[in-house]
Amino acid sequence: MAEEAPRFEEALVELEGLVQRLEKGELPLEESLAAFERGVNLVRHLTQRLAEVEQRVEVLLKTEAGRLIRRPLEDEEQ
Amino acid sequence: MLRAGRAPHILSVSELAQLLRSALDAGVGTVWVAGEISNLKRPASGHLYFTLKDDRTQLGAVMFRSAAQVLVFQPADGMDVVVRARADLYPARGALQLYVEAMEPRGLGALTLAFEQLKARLGAEGLFADARKRPLPRWPRAVGIVTALHGAAIHDMRTVLARRWPAAAVVLRPVRVQGRGAAREVAAGIEDLNRLADVDVVIIGRGGGSLEDLWAFNEEVVARAIAASTVPVVSAVGHEVDFTIADFVADARAPTPTAAAALVVPDRIDVVGALARAETGLRGALARRVGQARERLVALDRRLGDPARRLRDLMVRVDELGTRAGRALARRLAWDRRELAALGARLERGGPVARLRGAREQLEAATGRLGFAAAMRVRHALDALSPLACLERGYAIVRRGDAAGPVVSDAAALKAGETVALVFARSRARARVEDTEG
Repeated sequence: MAEEAPRFEEALVELEGLVQRLEKGELPLEESLAAFERGVNLVRHLTQRLAEVEQRVEVLLKTEAGRLIRRPLEDEEQ
Repeated sequence: MLRAGRAPHILSVSELAQLLRSALDAGVGTVWVAGEISNLKRPASGHLYFTLKDDRTQLGAVMFRSAAQVLVFQPADGMDVVVRARADLYPARGALQLYVEAMEPRGLGALTLAFEQLKARLGAEGLFADARKRPLPRWPRAVGIVTALHGAAIHDMRTVLARRWPAAAVVLRPVRVQGRGAAREVAAGIEDLNRLADVDVVIIGRGGGSLEDLWAFNEEVVARAIAASTVPVVSAVGHEVDFTIADFVADARAPTPTAAAALVVPDRIDVVGALARAETGLRGALARRVGQARERLVALDRRLGDPARRLRDLMVRVDELGTRAGRALARRLAWDRRELAALGARLERGGPVARLRGAREQLEAATGRLGFAAAMRVRHALDALSPLACLERGYAIVRRGDAAGPVVSDAAALKAGETVALVFARSRARARVEDTEG
């Protein structure tokens, strides 16, 4: 997953906040519309991310000097 | 050696001892003997000294460090054991002594006893206390796994993690999970994974097996590593019936590696459901917000409908409604339509059209009212703040120079012959100062 993408958790918290603010009905119309759009975009973005993301599987190895190395796990190692 | 008729052969003490030792060796040799341990001593040398006894007899015994250190359980006074030992004379004190090479508890397997002993000791230390258990993270960035590189455990865990929550990375720290040294490797694996910043939870585990197979997970070094871990540790060793020391110390225990994987990540299906519910909430809230605006408009209509106000409103406001509000309304409507079109296009792309049609129709129906209501609201707000309302009533603003010049609030600031701008509600004029007073 790209590093610049917000963490899932943060995006969900933001989404929850948007729904709550919109549900209170206190936002001016334009802000309501903006919150709605932002929320719908987040839903789309997160749903898409979940649909597209592929699990990264790494193996953690230790050199004789005690240094840790992470590298992708090759499936033939399985 | 002693023969009649000859002077007795006299032995030295050492010779006799040597003779006895040979006789013991030839006549008794290495035997298995059952008894109860008492008077156990464990000096710094690491050798074990104790008395092995039954109800009538006791014999001194020693178990040298090389033999004692491979015991998985802790011998203790009162324990019934079977030992493999050689009987020998300890020449310096002339004492008969058992040299113990191996020891097993009686009645109970050595491993079972060791398990019970360690469990009691760590339990007394508080390592199993509920208060020590840390909650598992809801959204781990990476899941650390300490298990064998090959085998069903890692395969099962990867399958479940990929299905439920592929957004989390999996970091496998391969170790041997049985045999000599396995416990140290598992402990080191937990420590290594703790050094990775994105690993928010660690699973240690292996498939089921005999008590011997699972033994690494019953060793103190693993228990200590779990307790020292800064991230929560889930223990997943064997099947339902097998409990290990690791299970007791871990923050959560799963009966199988598969169950552990399901424990540490959310399920994508649930999250997609929650996202869909959030979207429904957004749509409902927006529709209600538009409804509010509409109600305000209806209330405004009623006020306009009041005959006494109507006349005044007609006189004062019809003109503006025809011009400023009209322009604002037009702009607002155009803006709303553009936004709606863009939103509609996104929604179209994003999901099943049928599901969205209702919401969109609702939005479209609301948009006309929305634009008008917004224009009205904006106008009221401006009226309250703006001098335009005064200008409507016939006042004008005097500015020095032209309409962009500073506002003149005192004639003393002006000189005869100077040019000023007179700003009216919807027009302006240029004028020249004839004279000033005051």
